[in-house]
Amino acid sequence: MTQQQDQNIKSRPMTKPLEGVPLPDLERIPDYERGFWEGSHNQELRIQRCSGCNTFRHLPTPMCPSCHSLEYDWTKVSGKGVVYSFVIVRNPVHPAIREKEQLPYNISLIELEEQEGLRICSNILAISPEDIYIDMPVQVTFMPTVDEPTVVLPLFVPSD
Amino acid sequence: MVTNSADINGIRDKAAIVGIGETEFSFDSGRSELQLASEAIKAACDDAGISPHQIDGLIRYEMDTNQETMLIQSLGIENLRHWESVSYGGGAGNAVVGHAASAIAAGYCNYVVCFRAANLRSQMRLGQARNPQRIAGGQQGFAAPFGSMAPAHQFTMFVRRYMHTYGATSEHFGWVAVTLRENASRNPRALRRDPITLADHQNSRMVVDPLHLLDICQENDGAAAIVMTTPDRARNLRHADTLTLVEAAAQGSGPQNEGVIYRPDISVSESTNTARDLWSRAKLGPSDIDALMFYDHFTPFCLFNLEAYGFVPFGEAKDFVEGGKNIRFDGMLPINTHGGNHSEAYIHGLTHTQEAVRLIRGVSTSQPPNKTIDRVLSCSSVAQLSAAVIIRRG
Repeated sequence: MTQQQDQNIKSRPMTKPLEGVPLPDLERIPDYERGFWEGSHNQELRIQRCSGCNTFRHLPTPMCPSCHSLEYDWTKVSGKGVVYSFVIVRNPVHPAIREKEQLPYNISLIELEEQEGLRICSNILAISPEDIYIDMPVQVTFMPTVDEPTVVLPLFVPSD
Repeated sequence: MVTNSADINGIRDKAAIVGIGETEFSFDSGRSELQLASEAIKAACDDAGISPHQIDGLIRYEMDTNQETMLIQSLGIENLRHWESVSYGGGAGNAVVGHAASAIAAGYCNYVVCFRAANLRSQMRLGQARNPQRIAGGQQGFAAPFGSMAPAHQFTMFVRRYMHTYGATSEHFGWVAVTLRENASRNPRALRRDPITLADHQNSRMVVDPLHLLDICQENDGAAAIVMTTPDRARNLRHADTLTLVEAAAQGSGPQNEGVIYRPDISVSESTNTARDLWSRAKLGPSDIDALMFYDHFTPFCLFNLEAYGFVPFGEAKDFVEGGKNIRFDGMLPINTHGGNHSEAYIHGLTHTQEAVRLIRGVSTSQPPNKTIDRVLSCSSVAQLSAAVIIRRG
């Protein structure tokens, strides 16, 4: 009952990245993670791909977990995918969420079209979180963070 | 590619749990974690009928701030012969018991203690963001910028997918909450003792949708400890009349565990592997178990556990828990008769082992009325890594 009631009250869509939350330190991240963030900085979603067996992988790792090659490249992907799962955060666990009144927000797990099970964690913009559903088609977009404009996040918007 | 576990159960009945002890559980203990650990271990030794001077093995949670040397100092341990740290929080629950049993079976020590002591409310709160503001690499860097900063954020991804896959609803999780709270209402140690209704669960605020507040475990202060030794020594100790043996233990990870949410299918638990190994080592199955201790960090994972360990087919746990009848203390398969992490206290799973011992001794505050409890399964599902033990009457 309550769930249904909640679903009838639509929260405002996210329009930009969260502010004040932890971000990667691009000066200190390991070499095998760098291509992801360089891609975003260039408005491209790049996913680590093994040069030995052509398997995509995320999270990035120095070694291919399939064929154990150390060679990889950063392949630009289409940025198209579907929602695999998502949650709506309604309780602040970080001071910046509370202070900047950023509730609610969604965290969404996007399955990319290039490979089954290839997923990245992100936020979906331009839709009330109550309207997000599993298998919803989405498309990547890029936005710099307010706190560290060199860190550009891959975010998603509904597509159809 | 996963090979079968060796068909060997080298710990079978080689170790007995002879003492359990704990501090009071609270939201502000007002004392150090070393004091909490010392008090709980002393209480467990008192229950066993040994002196802390006799302890010669310690199995600690890697997360625990109490180092071996501190406890040697505080408890007056004369010679620590064996020590281990088991990694992760909930993942170390049950695992510490298996490690302790193997240390006894190997002859590394005579009296081994497992403990967990922490001010998880008044000091470090696990439910709050603990990331550094600038992340130097690893899975956090691909999660925290999007606001995924707490265990509830990651684990609830499983819950949403599970609901989608099997048609489970929040009400099903609510029946778990209602049942656990009812058990806690009879338990004077429990932090939350006021009975709740399904409506209370549904009306509790959404914390991480689809999880309500009443789906989520406590954040609290406190400590728990257990003492184990050989069955021969156990026969000369305080609880000689009820030999409580560790029959089998298993741990498992499944693939793609870093960051938790990137596993191949998040509507099933990594513990399907743990379950297969446990049953194969024990040469037992679900029908041999009288009561269940489920690591209940979030209520839906009790359903995952029922399925992963084969008590019901995948997708049918929702029907099994509906109405609470099957899982009540007087039902077919009692779950968490102490109230669990949900309503008794969150001590990273060690209280579940303690309650298994109470059930075998027949002294639980929610002792099942119509049957003898001879064998208890204590396990976890959807943790970073999972572990399980079977504890039986000797």
